[in-house]
Amino acid sequence: MTITTTDTPKRRIDVTRPVLWLFAAFMIVLIVLPLSWLVVFAFTDKARRPTLQNFVTLFTDPAFLDPLLTTAIIATTSAVICCLVAAPIGWLVSRTDMPGRQTIRALLTASFVTPPFLGAVAWELLAAPNSGMLNQLYRYLTGAEDPLFDIYSLTGLIFVISCYTFPFVFVLVANALDNMPGELEDASAILGGKAWTTARRVTIPLALPALVAGALIAFLQAMTLFGSPAILALPAGFHTMTTKIWSLFQYPPKLELAAAAAVPLLLLTMLLLQGQKFLLGRRGFSVVGGKYGAPRPIEMGGWRWAALAFCLLVLLNPVFLPYFALLNAAFSPNATTLVTPSTATLHNIVFVFTELSSTQLALKNTVILGASTATVGTILALVVAYVTTRRVIASHRLLGFLATAPVAVPGIVLGVGLFLSYTRPPFVLYGTLWILLLAFLTINLPSAYQQLQAAFATIHPELEDASRILGATRLQALRQITAPLLRTGVIATWCFIFIGVMRELSAAIVLFTSQTKVLSVLIYDLNESGDLAAISVLGIAMLVITFAVVLAVNRIPMFGGGAGARLRNS
Amino acid sequence: MASVDLRGLTKRFGSLAVVDNVSLKIDHGQLVCLLGPSGCGKTTTLRLIAGFLEPSDGEIHVGERLVSSKTRTLPPEQRNMSMIFQSYALWPHMTVTENIVYGLRLRKLDRDTIAKKLAAILATTKLEALAQRYPGELSGGQQQRVALARALIVEPETLLLDEPLSNLDANLREEMRFEIRRLHDEYRYTTVYVTHDQSEAMTTADMIAVMNGGRIDQLGTPEDIYARPESEFVARFIGASNVIKGTARDANHVAFAGATLKVVGAPLTPGQGAVVAIRQHDIGLATQAPASPENAIKAVVTRQVYLGVARDYMLEVADGTSLRATAPTETNVPKGSEIWLTLPPERCRALSR
Repeated sequence: MTITTTDTPKRRIDVTRPVLWLFAAFMIVLIVLPLSWLVVFAFTDKARRPTLQNFVTLFTDPAFLDPLLTTAIIATTSAVICCLVAAPIGWLVSRTDMPGRQTIRALLTASFVTPPFLGAVAWELLAAPNSGMLNQLYRYLTGAEDPLFDIYSLTGLIFVISCYTFPFVFVLVANALDNMPGELEDASAILGGKAWTTARRVTIPLALPALVAGALIAFLQAMTLFGSPAILALPAGFHTMTTKIWSLFQYPPKLELAAAAAVPLLLLTMLLLQGQKFLLGRRGFSVVGGKYGAPRPIEMGGWRWAALAFCLLVLLNPVFLPYFALLNAAFSPNATTLVTPSTATLHNIVFVFTELSSTQLALKNTVILGASTATVGTILALVVAYVTTRRVIASHRLLGFLATAPVAVPGIVLGVGLFLSYTRPPFVLYGTLWILLLAFLTINLPSAYQQLQAAFATIHPELEDASRILGATRLQALRQITAPLLRTGVIATWCFIFIGVMRELSAAIVLFTSQTKVLSVLIYDLNESGDLAAISVLGIAMLVITFAVVLAVNRIPMFGGGAGARLRNS
Repeated sequence: MASVDLRGLTKRFGSLAVVDNVSLKIDHGQLVCLLGPSGCGKTTTLRLIAGFLEPSDGEIHVGERLVSSKTRTLPPEQRNMSMIFQSYALWPHMTVTENIVYGLRLRKLDRDTIAKKLAAILATTKLEALAQRYPGELSGGQQQRVALARALIVEPETLLLDEPLSNLDANLREEMRFEIRRLHDEYRYTTVYVTHDQSEAMTTADMIAVMNGGRIDQLGTPEDIYARPESEFVARFIGASNVIKGTARDANHVAFAGATLKVVGAPLTPGQGAVVAIRQHDIGLATQAPASPENAIKAVVTRQVYLGVARDYMLEVADGTSLRATAPTETNVPKGSEIWLTLPPERCRALSR
């Protein structure tokens, strides 16, 4: 081999730093601006003079105190129910030889896709006091006059919220049990601990932090949810904090009170998240890491069928029954009549897609917003995750904090903040899709950022360094080395955000105008007018779109669909 | 000519100086080892040279070019260097060939030139049969050779190696050690090699810079470093040395454990404390008092282990100092016996630090 001088690469200006600073500035505007306006409005009167009057009203007027109390009751009981249901299922799926445990896990994970407000509507179909299908069945079987269930009640609301919250707890508990080294249980067994002693002294204490963290998440979800209470509590004549905040936006709007009412939600969320971080952070040291064997599944003998029956019974509530009700309503002339081959009709579908004037617009808006939020959000999260894992600029900590901060901002609170920020100069965005884009972006940023940060952490920084030293600029290294390695993580994040946008209602409900309606808002509107069949059609369409988009994105050749096999790491 | 010149190089993280005022001139074509325990700043120094880090103080010149200073740091891609990483950093999504030609593609060479260079480097590194494999399908030694090929094919002015052999098993490590030296002799680029393994440094380097606490403790040829350590740290770190603490009688005599040792090395100040290094296998053992009393000390055997090629002795002298000695297997003195040690004057090195 002869030695020849190779050309030195041409000098290029490194534009990455200014670009990164631009991202940082954008993030600050995105997150700090709405929260600042929220605080300003909460502590001022109509003439913007500082006052605490808003909070005095909030904490003395029964019209505000009752919702506060109701919200506390709902959040607490939902959290407890979620734990009671999710913990045994998590243990059964992760630690035993129960048949079909993979299917149960898949179904529970997939139930994330169901928007809670759609679940609430489905349960209206099932358990409305008069027309509800379960009540019809009960009356038919027993001849009784009174309904068995009333979904328009505090109990009903708690039930429905729990249905769509316990999967969060389940995932946390199941993952914690999955990661728990089998040796820890074996060590207890070899010292003479019987199965039950081992479970009581070792397994449960180790899984407890995850369970408590799950309870906090469930509490947060139940506290900040808008759709289910708006659909179920308002007809029953009571308010939660979120519906109260929303009602303050109705004519005549009381923006200062709305802002003030959002503050307790914000503070409580921050407090609970801090608690969760504390719990999970400590758990992280004790269980994750080190090379351990996979745990031995516990043999349950004849009990395993009983266990499966229990899981299926639980799954009836968030999955089987609601989807049955929705499918039935979509093809039935009357939403709550059991459809038969002779009565099956396509009328509802034709009505929704040809006669209902807002369908086209809402569909278009939703798909545009879903795709653009997912794309922008993924890019943004990608850049922030890159900066924080590789410590490119000095302020990477601040950037990481900003990207996670929206986690502490409930959707409706963010909606209020954005409304206050973008209805006035210099950014008048209210009435455009842009304000919804900003809202969805902010809401989905924390989880997108966390996913991509985890993905970055698995890529050794030396892989990028190797490319740099051979002559690649930072951007070339990102494009040629990091991007292909991150492919799976990026696609997953994109889909995650897209699904998140489809199911978002609580911020959209305070930000939409007639021209910027999205599917979730349309479904909410239709519920107000009692058109449950149309909702069923839209809800199913929504899920079909979601699955179609997720499938399509996974097949885009640019992302190298099917190339996963050769991504074996050295 | 690409010499690498570090001038007062300093890197601080917070208030901690990880690299502390390091000056080192590496001539063109020389292979210099930065040798030291973990945390001594050797890898940080290497990353400063590569341009992955910006110095807090000092400068780095490559040939005539100033590449790093407090105010301006040339990014790594503009330095015409190559680096071999501890993890090899092979890109798992590219084949062996794609990995190797990556640098050439960035330099926009034409297809034929790339093919020619690729064939040559594959032959040199004996990788022809593996060209279409993915890194995940290679053994550790093969991955190491791909990393070498990828770094060498761009014909860099400077080659940087960051503990390149630490992930290999012992046999392979020895083989690759000579391979690296052979390739260096073939291409003659300026090479900086970071390692914590002294035998690796001995066999590959023209010059060794022993680093400790962010500073260069001693710079010299492998022979200098081994035979003429200047500091207690170097004496202990390189090879197995006993370090004796006594009092200087005059410029080259030290009082130690009731005896007087004649020493070489740094001139001593009479009356001051003196530190003397002597290697384990340089200490002579005898059961009877030696004919010449010069540099002879009486000791007691406190431990004796048969190692196969030699015997390893732990000895205690009058003032309680423990010394370790390696003796031929024929010298078999049981534990608890008295024994005479001879410390040859030319092997007793007074240390300046």
